[in-house]
Amino acid sequence: MWFKSKPVLGDFEQLVLFGVLRLGDGAYGAAIRQEIHERSGRDVSINAVYTTLDRLEQKRLLRSWAGDPTPQRGGRRRKFYALTPAGAAALRQAWRAFTAMAAGLERQLDVK
Amino acid sequence: MTPPPRLAVRLAGLRLRGERREFVLGDLEEEFAARAAVSPAAARRWYWRQAVRCLRGQGRDAGAPVIVVPRGDPMLRSVLSDVRLSARVFRRAPSFAAAVVAVLALGIGANTAIFSIVNAVLLRPLPYPEPDRLVRLFHIPPQTTFPGIPTFSLSVANFLDWQRDARAFDGMAAYRGRGLTITGATAPEAVNATQVGAGFFGIVGTPPALGRTFTADEHQPGRSRVLVVSDGFWKSHLGGSPAAVGTTLTLDGERYTVIGVMPPDFSGHGWGATSAPMWMPLVWSDTDRAVRDNHNYQAIARLAPGVTLGQARAELRVISKRLEQAYPAEDAGWGGTAIPLQELIVGDVRTSLLMLLGAVALVLLIACANVGNLILARAVGRRKEIAIRAALGAGRRRVLQHVLVESLVLALAGGAAGVVLARLALGAGATALSGQIPRAEEATIDPRVLLFALAASLLTGLAAGVIPALRAGSGDLSDSLKEGGRSDPAGAGLLTRRALIVAEVALSLMLLMGAGVMLRSLHLLRTVDAGFDADHVLKMDVNLPGTRYAKPAQIRAFYDTLLERLRALPGVGAAGYADTLPATGGGSVQPIVLEGRPELKTSEQPTVAVRAVSGGYLPTMRIPILRGRDVAASDHDAMLVSASAARLLWGSGDPVGRRVTLPLESRDTLIDVVGIVGDVKETLAEQAPPTVYYYKRDVPFGDFSVAVRAAGDPTAVAQPAVAAVRAIDPQLPVQNIQSMRDAIDDTLVAERFRALLLEVFAAAALTLASVGIYSVLAYLVRGRRREIGIRTALGASGGDVVRMVVIEGLKPAIVGIAIGAAGALGAARLMEKLVFGVKPYDPPTLAVVAGTLLAVSVAASVLPAWRAARLDPVAVLRD
Repeated sequence: MWFKSKPVLGDFEQLVLFGVLRLGDGAYGAAIRQEIHERSGRDVSINAVYTTLDRLEQKRLLRSWAGDPTPQRGGRRRKFYALTPAGAAALRQAWRAFTAMAAGLERQLDVK
Repeated sequence: MTPPPRLAVRLAGLRLRGERREFVLGDLEEEFAARAAVSPAAARRWYWRQAVRCLRGQGRDAGAPVIVVPRGDPMLRSVLSDVRLSARVFRRAPSFAAAVVAVLALGIGANTAIFSIVNAVLLRPLPYPEPDRLVRLFHIPPQTTFPGIPTFSLSVANFLDWQRDARAFDGMAAYRGRGLTITGATAPEAVNATQVGAGFFGIVGTPPALGRTFTADEHQPGRSRVLVVSDGFWKSHLGGSPAAVGTTLTLDGERYTVIGVMPPDFSGHGWGATSAPMWMPLVWSDTDRAVRDNHNYQAIARLAPGVTLGQARAELRVISKRLEQAYPAEDAGWGGTAIPLQELIVGDVRTSLLMLLGAVALVLLIACANVGNLILARAVGRRKEIAIRAALGAGRRRVLQHVLVESLVLALAGGAAGVVLARLALGAGATALSGQIPRAEEATIDPRVLLFALAASLLTGLAAGVIPALRAGSGDLSDSLKEGGRSDPAGAGLLTRRALIVAEVALSLMLLMGAGVMLRSLHLLRTVDAGFDADHVLKMDVNLPGTRYAKPAQIRAFYDTLLERLRALPGVGAAGYADTLPATGGGSVQPIVLEGRPELKTSEQPTVAVRAVSGGYLPTMRIPILRGRDVAASDHDAMLVSASAARLLWGSGDPVGRRVTLPLESRDTLIDVVGIVGDVKETLAEQAPPTVYYYKRDVPFGDFSVAVRAAGDPTAVAQPAVAAVRAIDPQLPVQNIQSMRDAIDDTLVAERFRALLLEVFAAAALTLASVGIYSVLAYLVRGRRREIGIRTALGASGGDVVRMVVIEGLKPAIVGIAIGAAGALGAARLMEKLVFGVKPYDPPTLAVVAGTLLAVSVAASVLPAWRAARLDPVAVLRD
């Protein structure tokens, strides 16, 4: 193919990326899950969050590293995530597409 | 800090591998800790929910599958993967799966429901300690005078001798029922009590739930005003309070003290002695104890440990022989026997239930054949898929296993749905059956029934799957894989499918035959001429308590007034009473002595059914008076004899004007015979017994069934009739008010139930068979499109094609009918005892049934035939 295709984000992938961005240094599975639940109302399983995180990492939109084991976690480690430049670009793209499409429709959508 | 529930943690980690496991479990535990700080219980619930969600896998938002490292037994793993594959296949073909599951659910459900009744009635032991040691005792009456009557109630003196002499028993107790009226708190209410002899409760072996049972002392005259009540009565009448023990009840005007309450499990179970709501001590005076020739008592006994039934019977035989010699006048010809309680309760129901179980098993077999057909059709449609699997290395065994697992999964799903159906059916049917089939109300889905359902499901799955599996595993691979190769090689599976049709039709014929014969028998019973006219007759039972109606004059006055008022009601033609109404079973049988002849030993004295009646009773029932006249109020002791009684007692002589005595009533009273009446059946299915109708002016007791003939609907006069009773004595309860027709129909409940179930089974069988024939023919037409197209192109008309297809369908049907007819002949023996007036192998019924099956086969063939005839030869041949 003569053009490089940009990764298109699924709806849940967008939520996960926003979550990672919002949480900054504290972006790990449980925190992301809670953030999505509190802000969007979507109550997803932790396993589903990790599956999506893995996929986003495979697409090189996220990078990750493991923290130290803590007693609150029964001696298990945390896995932290952060956006890669490509991830930030993809999210920006999604945001632009969304706001561009939604602009001026506030009244019709009854959101204001 | 509390850790999350360990089991939930294990559950959550079950499907997680590698690092994912560490991070997910860590996250869950951390969030759990935060939540537990607020509410530990809510946190635990939350953790469980999360664990289940982890187990369910990825969730909708996920993509990549979790790769499970194979563990465990490879055989089991392959079966599990087949199960999973089947589930996936069925999700893709939901209508196929639903059809199969529905057919099997009906089949297994019906079997489970019938089995749960069989389980409760035949298999589950009675809930008393060591129930197999409980027996009931009977006289065996002399067959010369009581022809065909196998057992008889006991006389008091004989019972006491048995009790004194027998060593084979741990104890014996006599009992009998008694009707009473409760007065006091509310409207008068009739109740039945069982009077029980000393030791009764100890022999049965169930201790009271509250209070105590009777002491030996309380079986003495004057100390017997004590009651033990059932759990049901305790709850309905005594408030279910422990304080009920010690309270008093007024029965027939006398005060009784409640001393004990039996547990719920003691009551019922189809045994008369425990079915009454209360028990009172049986008290015998010295006069009672001397009576040897009047047989009015039942008895229960417990075999001594280690004593067999045979030994106990032998001992009773020996004692009876001794009594025959000691008291030849009363006891000559009277033997004794013991019969296990369980056997008596189950009685005739066993044959009925086993027949129904057999019938319902046939339905399941037909369902199996049908499902086998469906699976076969699918397997043939999936030849390519199976061939690909085989080409990729699946061995024959593996393919076979897959098809079998598919059918087992379907059968288990059908079985689970069937258990639910059975449960629903029992809920609806149990109340209807209670009282008709002993212990039927105890039918539940217990572990044994579940095991039965599981076994039935597995067998069904195997039976339905084995032929398709064998077929799927065979056949030429390359042929199936070849593009354009005919999807149905000639004859593949067709022979098998025809054989399944033959089986379905044969089994259906057997069921239809059973249902047909049962229906004819029921019809004959309903229309049999019982010797009286039950239409437009209302009946009600009136019991005058002996305490308030002690003198014959009081009883006579009551009934004279009552009958007079009933006859005066608008719309009432006639009224009368009898102690036992015909066609509803029961009633007294007594020896009869003609005037001028000596009274013989009871074994040689002729016996007749004795009905105590009022004047007007015979016209009310429209029992024809053949000679002489009806008894009248002006008579003192008068009698009408039935035609067969007249023949039995006087041969060709004229009985009118002769005189007789009934020694059990009174040896001194000569009764005038004033007429001959028509024969009347006591039980619809049996011969009318020789009967005498005895009018006694001075009746010693006042329990009678009153019959009223109405001009129109008999139930319309029910209310004024009860009002007439209450107007004379407001304290009297009136029971069992119904039309005579309903009363007779009630005696046919078992027959109706059998006929109804068989009809349902037969209808199911017929439907399944017709669906089977249809599907095979539709498949056949599809497979022979080319051939049919060529025939049409060569000039065969639409009619020719239709004829060809219909004949194709009729061939296996006719073979099935022939085989089924032979099978019905074999099954006829099982039905013999259950039908009346018709041979179980009734040729007209067989003809109708065979005709019906043929018609259904033709009907099922018509649609495929019509499709075949409409095939466009050009289009078919171009394909």
